[in-house]
Amino acid sequence: MEDRQQVPMGDERKVVSTGGLAIDGAPLSYIVILAAVVTALAFIPFSVVIFAGGSFPLSQAVLSLIGWILGPVAGAIASAIGTLVGVIVAPHTARVWIVSIYGAAMISFAAGTMGGKGKRRGWWILVAAISLLSLAGYVGMAILANGAPVISVALGAFLDWSAVLLFILPTRLLVVRWIGSQNVAKLAAGLFLGIWITYGIGHVCQSVIYYWIQNWPAEVWLTIAPIIPVEMMVRCVAGTIIGTGVITGMRKIGLVRPAEAVY
Amino acid sequence: MGWFGLLKPFTKRCYLSESDATIIRFAKVSYQYPHSERFALQNVDFSIRQGEFIGVIGPTGAGKTTLCLALNGIVPQFYGGRFFGHVTVAGQDSVETPVRNLARSVGEVFEDPETQLIATSVENEVAFPLENLGYAREVIKERVAWALRAVGLLGLEKKHPGSLSGGQKQRLAIAAAIAVRPKVLVLDEPTSQLDSLGACEVLETLVALNQNHGVTILMVSHSVERIAALASRVFLLLDGNLVTQGTPREVFGQSDLLARAGLRLPETMEVFRHLALRGQFAGPLPITVFEGQAALRNWRLKQSDLSSQPPATGHSDNSEPWIDLHQVSFRYPDGTQALKGLDLQVRQGDYLLLAGQNGAGKTTLVKVLLNLVRAQAGKVMVAGEDIRSVPVSTLARKIGYVGQNPDTQIFTASVGEEVAFALRTLGMDKSEIEQRVKPGLEEVGLGELIDRHPFSLPKGDRARVVIAAVLALQPEVIVFDEPTIGQDYAGARKILDLTKKLHRSGKTVIVITHHLYLMREYAQRMVVLNDGAVAMDGSLRDVLAVGESLGRFGLEPPEAVLLAESVRREGQSCPILPGELANHLVPPDSRTA
Repeated sequence: MEDRQQVPMGDERKVVSTGGLAIDGAPLSYIVILAAVVTALAFIPFSVVIFAGGSFPLSQAVLSLIGWILGPVAGAIASAIGTLVGVIVAPHTARVWIVSIYGAAMISFAAGTMGGKGKRRGWWILVAAISLLSLAGYVGMAILANGAPVISVALGAFLDWSAVLLFILPTRLLVVRWIGSQNVAKLAAGLFLGIWITYGIGHVCQSVIYYWIQNWPAEVWLTIAPIIPVEMMVRCVAGTIIGTGVITGMRKIGLVRPAEAVY
Repeated sequence: MGWFGLLKPFTKRCYLSESDATIIRFAKVSYQYPHSERFALQNVDFSIRQGEFIGVIGPTGAGKTTLCLALNGIVPQFYGGRFFGHVTVAGQDSVETPVRNLARSVGEVFEDPETQLIATSVENEVAFPLENLGYAREVIKERVAWALRAVGLLGLEKKHPGSLSGGQKQRLAIAAAIAVRPKVLVLDEPTSQLDSLGACEVLETLVALNQNHGVTILMVSHSVERIAALASRVFLLLDGNLVTQGTPREVFGQSDLLARAGLRLPETMEVFRHLALRGQFAGPLPITVFEGQAALRNWRLKQSDLSSQPPATGHSDNSEPWIDLHQVSFRYPDGTQALKGLDLQVRQGDYLLLAGQNGAGKTTLVKVLLNLVRAQAGKVMVAGEDIRSVPVSTLARKIGYVGQNPDTQIFTASVGEEVAFALRTLGMDKSEIEQRVKPGLEEVGLGELIDRHPFSLPKGDRARVVIAAVLALQPEVIVFDEPTIGQDYAGARKILDLTKKLHRSGKTVIVITHHLYLMREYAQRMVVLNDGAVAMDGSLRDVLAVGESLGRFGLEPPEAVLLAESVRREGQSCPILPGELANHLVPPDSRTA
């Protein structure tokens, strides 16, 4: 059959989402599915939590990805719901359930704000401010209140301060540009670096609370220094593998792109 | 008895309100999905009066589903994109009225009821939309009872939706849609996944809703016979354009236009078109089987032996069976006896059509064949080996399986990788994989799409990706489970042509389907399963020749067979194709034998 495209004769209508089927421009079905993915991955542990017991769930690897796909608001909601259900069905993955949910939401929110446009261009500053305050509290308490050696704290909190620094610097925008690239290698690099940054932000926001609750001894800082980066590598590699497949697939299939997505 | 029998008293008596009020108005509607260069709908303009029963036909990609989604505002409110013109439903503008409000006026039922059922009991499922709309408890109870009565599910309130049959599930989806008492019910291919019995239940429900409750119905279907029998008006969509509309007789009378759209005529009409071309029939062509049977009163069939005519051709011989099931029984853990002493032999080169209503044992039979479940009694031999001693992976290389839903068999991000997937897991080297992938894709006509993501392709092409992946393993037997579901006529023919090509190349083909009308030019042998055992086994022509009696097994014979049955005398061969029937029909005033 010949293609018979015609000029529309009707008036063009202003299309707005009024159906209640989307949150902040992200289809409800995406939010539900990604929340379910977080819950499902919450069953899979990938590392033990030293000094506190329990295990880290693999769902931590996809929290940033959810923020880049759904945007800051819908991403934070999906991650929070998924983590909430996750801590109920797999309680060994959460030390303090509300802190786990806060951390998960913060990671997705931070990821979503990295590519903010228009009125949302400055949302990242809020994230930067919260994470800087958290970092100050975390490090300050260790050095000033507990007398931990500065070098030990600097090494033990390497993930946290490097993430906050990279978030504040233009690396934030570089990550968004790479994730938006059609080049798969750049996409993977953007995901890897972006997970390091956003998870680090979530980590410092949670750690300051855990440190306040548990107040671990000064010796611990040096012990965790080599472990945390290794764990982070696992999160980054897993998140990059999953994220590259998901984003490449979503582009190829032509699925509806949420309004705040950065891919 | 099939669905047509149940519809006999209802046909063409759709409810129309005395006020003739317009309930749906499409005014110059055009719509473009985001990231799409094409318009899915183009300047579509029509009105529907309250109480009409509208049938919508068109090939895949014509815009039928988009039209349905535009009625309840999902297009454009959910998808976004560019929208031109106005859609008004019960006085509400579909762009300005939130979907949740439009849902009070428009109920929507999709092809696969599984995608719509979410609750843990039948009554909770129907209550769910009412609860969301904030109805009082007493109102909800009254509406649930009303809706379940209307669809004939009263008494099943406490059952889990997952335990219902396909027809019952679809009726439950309809009950949930009508519980809010919408003025309009939109159904997108509501019977395509159902067997004849399930389809009959659903269509009977729709007719009753239309006639007894005045619900306006808009139904999309590839089954032109059903549209011809039920609809008061038919819309034909093509490339997003409403190219024609009118009564079924007016629309199906435009055979050239239908042919251009890749659609077929209702089969009764096709028979009479052949007769008219020969000058043996004059006047308006009958479009339903009842009209056809009435028009053939006093006609007779020529005496001739059709047993040697196609489709009775193939490679079958009297060699040893390649697949031999002897007294096979299987019972599921919940106590369901799926197979009861089943005997079946399949020889190399057979083209076998396996039919039977839902629950007859077809899927279990395939599972037993593939060693996915082990028969509790009897013996299953494949290529001379008892399959109890054959690993599943080895058997999978001998018997390829193409499932009903291709999406459940797709794992990778490109068509080429998908075809290579199983080969890699078998440890083949790269060069051997390359030698199989490209030719395999060319064999199914997808050679150009090797780098595409499988899910970016239409469903028909996704099915062909799976077929290519199965063929890459070079199995001796290929089982196709309902390969034509969800396909338009042209798409279904493409897939079946591929099965024919495979058969001609020496493969043994087993097709499971309830679309008997599609199989007449393909299968040579037909086996009917009923209640876990073989009820009929013979040449396709001989089995179809029993005509309306196939209804006993929940099967729907093609209309040509039903027309032949009305004029056939005992002992005469049965024409099964429209042209073949027209060739053998003798008018009442003719003296030729």
